[in-house]
Amino acid sequence: MTAYDVLEMVNGILYTTGLFNLSWKLCVMWLIAGVFLYLAIVKNFEPLLLLPIGFGIFIVNFPLVPLMGYTEAGHGELLRLFYRYGLEWEVIPCVIFLGLGAMTDFGPLIANPKTLLIGAGAQLGVFVTFTGTVLAGFTLKEAASVGIIGGADGPTTIYLTQHLAPQLLGANALAAYSYMAMVPLIQPPIMRLLTTPEERKIRMKMLRPVSKTERIIYPLLASAVIALLVPSVIPLMGMFMLGNLMKESGVVERLTETAQGDLMNIVTIFLGISVGATMQAENFLSAKPLLIFGLGLVDFMVCTAGGIWATKIMNVFLKEKINPLIGSAGVSAVPMSARVSQMMGQKYDKQNHLLMHAMGPNLAGVIGSAAAAGMFIAMFD
Amino acid sequence: MTRLWILLAVMLIFSPARAGADTTSPAGTADFFGAPVMPGGKEVSRTDARLEKSFDAPPEKVLEFFKEALKDEKEVKFRYRASQTYVEDHAARQWHSITIEKNDKGGADVVWMKDNWTWILGTLILRFFGVFVVLLVLYLAMAISGAIISRALKRAEAEP
Repeated sequence: MTAYDVLEMVNGILYTTGLFNLSWKLCVMWLIAGVFLYLAIVKNFEPLLLLPIGFGIFIVNFPLVPLMGYTEAGHGELLRLFYRYGLEWEVIPCVIFLGLGAMTDFGPLIANPKTLLIGAGAQLGVFVTFTGTVLAGFTLKEAASVGIIGGADGPTTIYLTQHLAPQLLGANALAAYSYMAMVPLIQPPIMRLLTTPEERKIRMKMLRPVSKTERIIYPLLASAVIALLVPSVIPLMGMFMLGNLMKESGVVERLTETAQGDLMNIVTIFLGISVGATMQAENFLSAKPLLIFGLGLVDFMVCTAGGIWATKIMNVFLKEKINPLIGSAGVSAVPMSARVSQMMGQKYDKQNHLLMHAMGPNLAGVIGSAAAAGMFIAMFD
Repeated sequence: MTRLWILLAVMLIFSPARAGADTTSPAGTADFFGAPVMPGGKEVSRTDARLEKSFDAPPEKVLEFFKEALKDEKEVKFRYRASQTYVEDHAARQWHSITIEKNDKGGADVVWMKDNWTWILGTLILRFFGVFVVLLVLYLAMAISGAIISRALKRAEAEP
């Protein structure tokens, strides 16, 4: 064997490594991954999702890694399989909703059902952003999937995007979860701008206690209404209500614990890494994700304003006034936006406890954003 | 506020719309704002936003032409209704729809519509209103069921 042969062999080996296939685009994606990992680990912003998403972005943006492609035999590689069966088949968002349902207490919403209308008002941004997105040159389906970001509901955003514009999945999911994490920064200035100091001090009557029978009937009732009016989102909302029925019935504690604990954790891992894995440099580095982040922010702001305006309009007709600060909780982001309402309320009146009141519109926002998603699916199917 | 203006400027600069909307007919034939126009037929009316033509060919034949002309377009939806076929564009093209309807003589009347904001805004307002309707129905159902349950519980508590 000559020295030339040895060099050839070394050369061959080197070409099977990623070193000779690196590009600046991949480096940019590492930086983006680094930002999300930083937000998750150092800033503690939605770490359960941003950490696996950040790592997913990082790991798929190395050359030659067998993660999101197909083998020679035509089988999907590891992350491609997670993506295919979890997201492409729309399984993960629905299973996450099962877990969320098992964790949710609908008591505040049942005690004060008129807050459902605040959840509807808070979908304003979804429809306004749709228009802006069309103006920016996106297709109608893409516009619908970008619009839903303002609903501040991760699984619903993923469900709708996967249904209408799967090519935007990574950017949309990332925008939704990033802005959900930033609710305490985005909402307070809008809340201050749209409310007067007197309105912020409105005290609301204590919520009535809710019986167990009402709690059990609610998920059945909600499932029936949604199945009849917006059947396209019943995979999501049906699972949500099943989880809640399991919790409220109190007869399947083991199932409830699994749904809200282990099962939720398992699917969260797969969700995060699969979403991150969709963000490969060649798909992601374009103007569209930047636009999506910009439009998503406007969306969030208008949705927050929509919730506050809905509350103010309701106050015109109501004897017992609603504190408009709970209107901002109409974007779902449970329970973060309800906490922001509580925090803002206490800033102006230390004895004013708005948290439980804000949970009503907060949960209504979940149903509202699912209804909006259903409207969009019906528009294109 | 300055940041908001900067953001809007960046969004405008990077807007894919600036690259120009697709205005060419996929079939490479005569077109109305990029939508294929079947050759022949009699022009009934034409405005800046609407073209109507009448064909002797049966609607099935006309539909076949459009299916062939638009076969490579992913963002085009064919909706089959009782007496007409409605072809809708979901992309950012300049045409909005093509309606093919059977006429009294057994032929087909075809109407091309230019993309218009009336349709987009109309459908958005209706759907936003639809979200209110869904939640309003749920509200009424909850209010009624809540009242019935509360009354039943009070009655049960009052009974010795």
